[in-house]
Amino acid sequence: MTTLARLEAVTMDFGTTRAVDRVGLAVEAGEVVGLLGANGAGKTTCIRMLLGLLYPTAGTVHLLGAAPSRTTRRELGYVPQGLGLYEDLTAAENLAFQAAAFGIATPDVSADLPTDLADVADVVVSDLSLGVRRRLAFAAALGHRPRLLVLDEPTSGVGPLGRADLWDRIHEAVDAGAGALVSTHYMDEAEQCDRLVVLAAGRQVAAGTVADVVGDQQVVEVEPDHPAAALARLEDAGLVALPAGRRVRVVAATAERVREALPGAEPQMVPATLEEAFMAAVAGDRVGA
Amino acid sequence: MWAMIVKEMRQVRRDRRTLAMMIVMPILLLVVFGYAARFDVSEIRVVPVGDAAAAGAANLPAPFTVLDATDDADPVDVLRRGDADVAVAVDGGQPVAWVDGSNLFTAQAATRSLSAIAAQGGPAIEIRTAFNPDLATSAVLVPGLGGLILIFVGSLVTSLGVVRERQAGTLEQLAVMPLRARDVFVGKVAPYFVVATVDLLVVLGIGVTLFDVPFAGDPWWLALGSLLFLFTALGIGVLISTVSANQGQAIQLALMTVLPQVLLSGLIFPLTSMAAGVRWIGYLLPLTWFNVVAKDVMLKDAPASALALPLGVLTVMSVVVSGLAVWRFNRDLRPAGPARTSDHDSAGRDPAPVAAT
Repeated sequence: MTTLARLEAVTMDFGTTRAVDRVGLAVEAGEVVGLLGANGAGKTTCIRMLLGLLYPTAGTVHLLGAAPSRTTRRELGYVPQGLGLYEDLTAAENLAFQAAAFGIATPDVSADLPTDLADVADVVVSDLSLGVRRRLAFAAALGHRPRLLVLDEPTSGVGPLGRADLWDRIHEAVDAGAGALVSTHYMDEAEQCDRLVVLAAGRQVAAGTVADVVGDQQVVEVEPDHPAAALARLEDAGLVALPAGRRVRVVAATAERVREALPGAEPQMVPATLEEAFMAAVAGDRVGA
Repeated sequence: MWAMIVKEMRQVRRDRRTLAMMIVMPILLLVVFGYAARFDVSEIRVVPVGDAAAAGAANLPAPFTVLDATDDADPVDVLRRGDADVAVAVDGGQPVAWVDGSNLFTAQAATRSLSAIAAQGGPAIEIRTAFNPDLATSAVLVPGLGGLILIFVGSLVTSLGVVRERQAGTLEQLAVMPLRARDVFVGKVAPYFVVATVDLLVVLGIGVTLFDVPFAGDPWWLALGSLLFLFTALGIGVLISTVSANQGQAIQLALMTVLPQVLLSGLIFPLTSMAAGVRWIGYLLPLTWFNVVAKDVMLKDAPASALALPLGVLTVMSVVVSGLAVWRFNRDLRPAGPARTSDHDSAGRDPAPVAAT
């Protein structure tokens, strides 16, 4: 496998605030690596360091085998959170600009674009829906057939159908040999990644495949008579609890602690989901491990 | 309504730059422009042409300041070179004062003063006005207005264009494209350059055809002056954009650069009438020098020697301002962070990343 991108123990300080603390990750050709974390976890800062938009305070960045540069960025497709489209240009004009900037032929709207984008080729971007804009940004980023795709929260604000469509595009590119680094805080999207790097407060708290991150972690599940009241009591006890229908699932806790918070409850240990494993990792505790 | 007022007051208070603009700028402008806004002409430079004229001009009272006589055959050449506001000669035994009509207020003051001298029993001097015989305001204003439009498009519109790019997040997208900073810079300002050039041609064309503004000189000199001035104006626009967080700030800063140029460049008020304390500001403004070039070329067909100083100053200004703009623009497109001081190498590579610690 070819390593397309690598962060080695990178740290980024903004003044006295440490935004990223010794994070490492690698993206190989033919895989999707997910950068998973809550807002403010350091995902975008990691991406900006990888792209060469920020110099790390410490650590090393390799993009396509070298330091980030104009040359290496030639083989990069990037979709930022804000999409980076010119709102006062049409879809076709945006694509033409990106193509020219990367030194490739202007795409033939009818032949090279999906029908939904071809239909709006002459519409200015500001008049397009967010979902179509995201698909357009994808098309623009993929136009020069990059070896590495870097996507910062690519499906933010898009409906389930649109998200599924965008993930189809990501997998198509990866199946064709590209690598992709995708930041997200959606668990269902994280499950589509080949490997995950989980960030919390700028630190890497877990890494590996979904199975690696979940591992053999378990959560405590109870079925109280009054779930809302039970959630409140668990929260008062300092536990992280999630509703699951009529049940309540508690992460990073033992059955004894749940029993103390909810006297009379009959807690059961059950396998954790990715979201629960993520929350446990963020909490810095691994239940059942 | 009260909630709305309180909310607005809080927002205004937080926007320190706007607040400073609203409080400090009016005071500053009032003081500066109060000293600048004078139509009175305190000094009129007179050069006698020939010994006979020197003897006759020697007793001219203030505001005339009689300089050394010259041997030029044509008194208009003295004015064309900018050596004097009035050239006094003797033509067929009759004293003649040639007045430089390209300096409107000075010419009017000279005409009034010479007429007053004659009315008070002094020597009757025939007054002839060169370059702008009717002392038409349009002839004096149109060349400078062309410059004003260049500075408007170059500074205000350009700065807005670049700031819009940053606000929209597309500047970051440009930074990760395989484009050199200079490609982005030139590509960004080129359309404004074209628009400003077309604007200038239209303004001068209308001035010449509609308002009968003379165009006596070599258009290539004006083209050179316009080019240098436009580079300066575009550079100011890009500089403004690099220090502005949003379009509102860019507009404020652009107005701060445009307004003094309107009032202190000699376009409206004669520079020589301004108090010395603010006159020097005028000499630091590019429009001042463009105005000199435009009027000298269009109205006076001034020789290269007379254009050397304003063109030289514009050259220095364009190099310094454009250089600063490219430097700041480069910085915007480069990685930020602790090691940002190094430069890209010739292949466009960023500096080596910081070693792991």
